[in-house]
Amino acid sequence: MLMDALLIAIFAGIAGIDMFDGLTHIHRPVVAGLVVGWILGDVRMGLIVGGTLELVWMGAVPVGGAQPPNVVIGGIIGTAFAILTKQEATTAIGVAIPFAVAVQACITLLFTFFSPIMSTADKFAEERNLKGIANINYLGMGILFVFYFIITFLPIMLGAEAAQKIVELLPTWLINGFGVAGGMMPAIGFAMLLKVMYKKEFAIYLALGFILATYLKVPVLALAAIAFCIAYFDYTLNKKMDESTFDNSNGGGYSDGI
Amino acid sequence: MEEVIAMEYNELDSQYEDRSTPKVITKKDINKMAFRSFFLQASFNYERMQACGWLYGMIPALEKIHKNEKDLSKSMKMHMEFFNVHPFLVTFVQGIVTAMEENKEDLDTIRGIKVALMGPLGGIGDALFWFTLLPIAASIGASLALEGSVLGPIIFLLLFNIVHFGLRFTLGHYAYKMGVNAISKLQAGTKYVTKGSLILGLTVIGGLIASYVNFKIPYIIDTGKTTIAIQTDVLDKIMPNLLPLVFTLFMFYLLKKGKTPITLIMITLAIGILGSILGVL
Repeated sequence: MLMDALLIAIFAGIAGIDMFDGLTHIHRPVVAGLVVGWILGDVRMGLIVGGTLELVWMGAVPVGGAQPPNVVIGGIIGTAFAILTKQEATTAIGVAIPFAVAVQACITLLFTFFSPIMSTADKFAEERNLKGIANINYLGMGILFVFYFIITFLPIMLGAEAAQKIVELLPTWLINGFGVAGGMMPAIGFAMLLKVMYKKEFAIYLALGFILATYLKVPVLALAAIAFCIAYFDYTLNKKMDESTFDNSNGGGYSDGI
Repeated sequence: MEEVIAMEYNELDSQYEDRSTPKVITKKDINKMAFRSFFLQASFNYERMQACGWLYGMIPALEKIHKNEKDLSKSMKMHMEFFNVHPFLVTFVQGIVTAMEENKEDLDTIRGIKVALMGPLGGIGDALFWFTLLPIAASIGASLALEGSVLGPIIFLLLFNIVHFGLRFTLGHYAYKMGVNAISKLQAGTKYVTKGSLILGLTVIGGLIASYVNFKIPYIIDTGKTTIAIQTDVLDKIMPNLLPLVFTLFMFYLLKKGKTPITLIMITLAIGILGSILGVL
């Protein structure tokens, strides 16, 4: 049992990384079912449970920043419990979903708490510390591995009920609070971009993008296309004006360095 | 007069010191970057999203292009700014940006193009991978697996990854060539390109604020006789996405006042937790 739990937990660690990095999709339930079934000695059952869970999570993809219940934990814990407790695949879903939701909340926390590390990354960038930048990325994946390892190992070793109680211990106000803050945090990233890009005479375009997206629900692709048209129009207008006035000594200080 | 000086300073700030443009990028470098692009989201976080992983992917090119230490540091700092693109199409941006870096384009222009590409590629990537390839590959794989066939997972992985790897390792080369060609054509009009990329970039950011920043007050006032939902009855009536906009501008204001990003994160966390305890958020 210990050996099985260890092997499944290692696979969960790798799959957890694959969900964000690598993206070979070995983390999907249809693959996880085969691997977990093979470790637990029941490939056929693993395939069937994995296939069932795959269909459940089919639409659960990270679109527009929204995070669905965690597909890695759903697939792995679901298959493991179905085989270990000899349950139907559909019952396994009921066991797997609460874990998958709790794990996704924890991932939200991880993404929130990884934010402060970015100021260290800024320092590394300033100092041209290439190793440092690489290490921050390795650290991120290391944390993911350890997290998925523990979160898979414990429920399989302790049994579902004991693990469920641990999940319930976390105060909801804290989890909710972190979730809310996580949703707001992209604002900081945009503010930092604005700090370097914002010029008063271009503020109108920021407003335009916001209004089109908010009221007309224009998707970002269309937004960029519209902005491109405006930029092109602006370009032809400027060019005409520059050509009609006297030649402004090739754009004031631009040299092409050749 | 002061304005002119300020502008000139700004211009220098956004340019590389070493403006020589030898061609140093090889096919091997593009492949190296494609390999590194697997780790785009390794240090994902809500503040900068993929920035640090993106920089990690760009390092092979930046290291070769910027022999001037100040330039390398300038470039790396710029690439640590907020970045979020569809993880399957990132090599496309890598190719274009590499061509621009190699040509020592103005940093404002590179930034503008980078930002302008984020959103559109996101839409294309979602449509291509999440709404098309994954459902097709997964349903074929799952139906075989349900019959107990080992071929299910194998066919799923093959279908998905042939497209995935194919795109990841060809887009970079394609985009780099495209970037090099486009740049030589646009060379004459750097001034215009910078202005155009600012228009493009700021419009997209405006849209991203509306769609990515999630800030709602689901609190409902119950006076006994009537109930007033703060978000839907009040705030949305004034303007939908009012809170995301105000909050982003507030963060922008604090940054301009010299507050660090860490302070902003702490403020955001405090608002989230406090709001949650009070039951407002």
